[in-house]
Amino acid sequence: MRIIENNIIKEKLYLEELENGLKVMIIPKKGTNKKMAIIGTKFGSIDNHFINPKTKEEVIIPDGVAHFLEHKMFEQSDGTNSLDTLTAMGVEANAYTTNDHTAYYFEAVDNFEPAFKELLNYVFNPYYTDQNVEKEKGIIDQEIGMYDDDAISKVFYNALECMYEKCPVRIDVAGTVESVDKINKDILYNCYNTFYNPSNMILSVCGDFEPDYIINLIKTNMKKIEKLDKIERIYPEEPEKIYNAYKEEKMDVSIPTFVIGIKDKVEKENIIKKELILNILLNYILDENSKLYKELYDEGLLISEPDLEYEYSDIYSHMMIFSYSKDPKKVFEKVKEEIRLLKDNGLEEKVFNRVKNKIYGRLITSYNSPAQVGRIFMRDYMNNIISFDYLNEWNNINIEDANKELKDRFIEDKMILSIVNPK
Amino acid sequence: MSYISKTIKKGITLHTIKTEKYKTNLIAVFLTFPIIKEEATKNTLIALMLKRGSKLYKTREDITNKLAEMYGASLDSGIEKSGDNHILKFYLESINEDYLPKKEELFKESINLLFDVVFNPNIEDNKFNEEFLKQEKYSLEQIINSKIDNKTMYALNRCIETMYEGKPYGIYKYGYVEDLKNIDAYNLYEQYKKIISTCKIDIFVSGKNDDIESIITENKEIKKLNEREPYFIKNGEPSNKNAERYVEEKMDVKQGKIVLGIDVINNEKDLRYSAQVYNAILGGTANSKLFQNVREKASLAYTISSSYMKLKSNIFIRAGIEIDNYEKALNIIKEQMEEMKQSNFSDKDIENAKRAIITNIKNIKEEQDIEISYYYGQELSDIKTSIEEYIQNIENVTRQDILDVANSVSINTIYFLRN
Repeated sequence: MRIIENNIIKEKLYLEELENGLKVMIIPKKGTNKKMAIIGTKFGSIDNHFINPKTKEEVIIPDGVAHFLEHKMFEQSDGTNSLDTLTAMGVEANAYTTNDHTAYYFEAVDNFEPAFKELLNYVFNPYYTDQNVEKEKGIIDQEIGMYDDDAISKVFYNALECMYEKCPVRIDVAGTVESVDKINKDILYNCYNTFYNPSNMILSVCGDFEPDYIINLIKTNMKKIEKLDKIERIYPEEPEKIYNAYKEEKMDVSIPTFVIGIKDKVEKENIIKKELILNILLNYILDENSKLYKELYDEGLLISEPDLEYEYSDIYSHMMIFSYSKDPKKVFEKVKEEIRLLKDNGLEEKVFNRVKNKIYGRLITSYNSPAQVGRIFMRDYMNNIISFDYLNEWNNINIEDANKELKDRFIEDKMILSIVNPK
Repeated sequence: MSYISKTIKKGITLHTIKTEKYKTNLIAVFLTFPIIKEEATKNTLIALMLKRGSKLYKTREDITNKLAEMYGASLDSGIEKSGDNHILKFYLESINEDYLPKKEELFKESINLLFDVVFNPNIEDNKFNEEFLKQEKYSLEQIINSKIDNKTMYALNRCIETMYEGKPYGIYKYGYVEDLKNIDAYNLYEQYKKIISTCKIDIFVSGKNDDIESIITENKEIKKLNEREPYFIKNGEPSNKNAERYVEEKMDVKQGKIVLGIDVINNEKDLRYSAQVYNAILGGTANSKLFQNVREKASLAYTISSSYMKLKSNIFIRAGIEIDNYEKALNIIKEQMEEMKQSNFSDKDIENAKRAIITNIKNIKEEQDIEISYYYGQELSDIKTSIEEYIQNIENVTRQDILDVANSVSINTIYFLRN
């Protein structure tokens, strides 16, 4: 077992790869009663075209399969439902699907051990029938319907559709009512057998326990699964330029919502540093302390601090600024203008340091709850990152690098605007 | 972990939760007073104005810059309705001094900043800043109007408004657009003086510093506060007698939202613990009757749940459904309520429900803000219950208790949002 210790946050990570390829991360947290376990597979909505590593067949699947699989993992062949079983143990269990991964988790105060065994059992024992697959379609249709009425979800998807022409990140995680209708049990098994191999998965555990105890629990409770080769995923070639600069839609809301998207190059090197700098820059430009926010607030163009996000995977990389405004187009112009000014004049040292401190505080705060810690470590490791490295790298961030990234990444031709207007 | 509650002045209570569990200190100030329709808008506006600037930190930028320098400390405020009370909540979270890159008195700075914001507003010539007020009135207008944006919350709010029309609990917590025009910088300051000198004040600190009490009692803003006979409501007014009133509203939505507002009325027995167990069996968990029957068996919904509101003794059942399936869904919901009445639930159901509730109770001590909310809830209640007693009270609930709830429930209002 590899032990990685961090002196800034005063926590340790125990890391082990099992024979079947499963990567296990254990972050002990003394003195807490809460425990959490999360198991993630690198299978999200973007993985819709791949080569089955066993049959070597090329497979193209309908939109929404990863999410559908997540819904169907809980049902067991003996007629039980693991979500019910876990709920009955008094633990909070759930699952989610994103663009690039799917995860199953639970949080417990009591009954950690039986819940952990149940997790290891249901995630590795699929049970799909024609009947239980059909039944799920009505439920998922209502989930899609819920998001159809949600302006926030709409404005984000429209932003992705603007930035990307071909990349499957532009597809809704849940798919559409039509694509979901095409899903059947054979498709589910094919995807399950490909992506739910332990070699494509990470298990992360956080709570007050000894690492050996966890490793033993896994070894004695996980069924034997043969390690598969690396999965070959086929993604369309995405042009560097944006697809559409603007998209507008009308819904029954009180005030327009908007997303400003900035498309970025996909890179594999120095990701941590890049992510920290981009977050600093986004906050520098438009967080609640920024000069621009003050100006927009005073003019009534913004009423609350925008959400600022940088997101990336192996095939996409972009920034998004989300908020509400009576005039999103004007906000967009002001943002572009501010970026031009900052590029010309360079960043101010004092402001830069203030934002840098703020990012540091956020990194520290994220270690408060076991639930958050477990999730963050799993998700970061999907991108081959050990979460501690954000804290380590923070010290090395300087204003020169930030000025350079500002010039390289915040390019006007790569910006889009998505708006949802009131009717 | 230790919890100590201490009256530092009449009407002003300091609650100290000493813990080493977290990387942060969380400080909270809650101002509690009865909710009144004519004053609700003003009180919300006060919360917004306080965050616009204090005596020491004149503008919003001065405050946020200070916060950013304090390693991204965060200052949040919230406006809540709890029973028939209106509560202005202010929180400041900052990282614990042990995790700073260099030594600083961050806890003391946090206290000073938060108290300056709440108790030392930027007042000149007996009024709030006019320009800021104009902006905050605009901002509040947007907040009030945005009520329709989240359809799920909107439907719930509309159901509550119908049940409590004309009563304090039916008041919208952010207030009303038409009341904004009568608010000016002078009368808003008058209102501030009134609430700050009469409201119940609770100060919470969760963190690991040893000098919490002395730092707070020595703070000059705390020294300035007067003693008071705190005025707040313990048991508010009950809902209107609606007897299954149907309210339908149309909007351009794809999915319909159904909300059933239910009264739990029993004058002989205290049902607050048994109602929690009843609710968990009916619709509180993934094992519940509603989740199993409306979602898993009939595939009618993705979201279906029920929740129990202790202070008002109400249960709210909510579902997002295909609009044409309204009758079908409503019938299944009513059937399941009837099943509860007929005692058609197993001992295992009772056991599972208790486990789920007890897990939530045990979680109280695992998150700073939840723990603060729990102790605050105790403050508003006549009966003080420790977490251990709370768990025991849930364990003690019997089948008969649950049946007593089943026989005490009545549908007050059915609200349906559709196209």
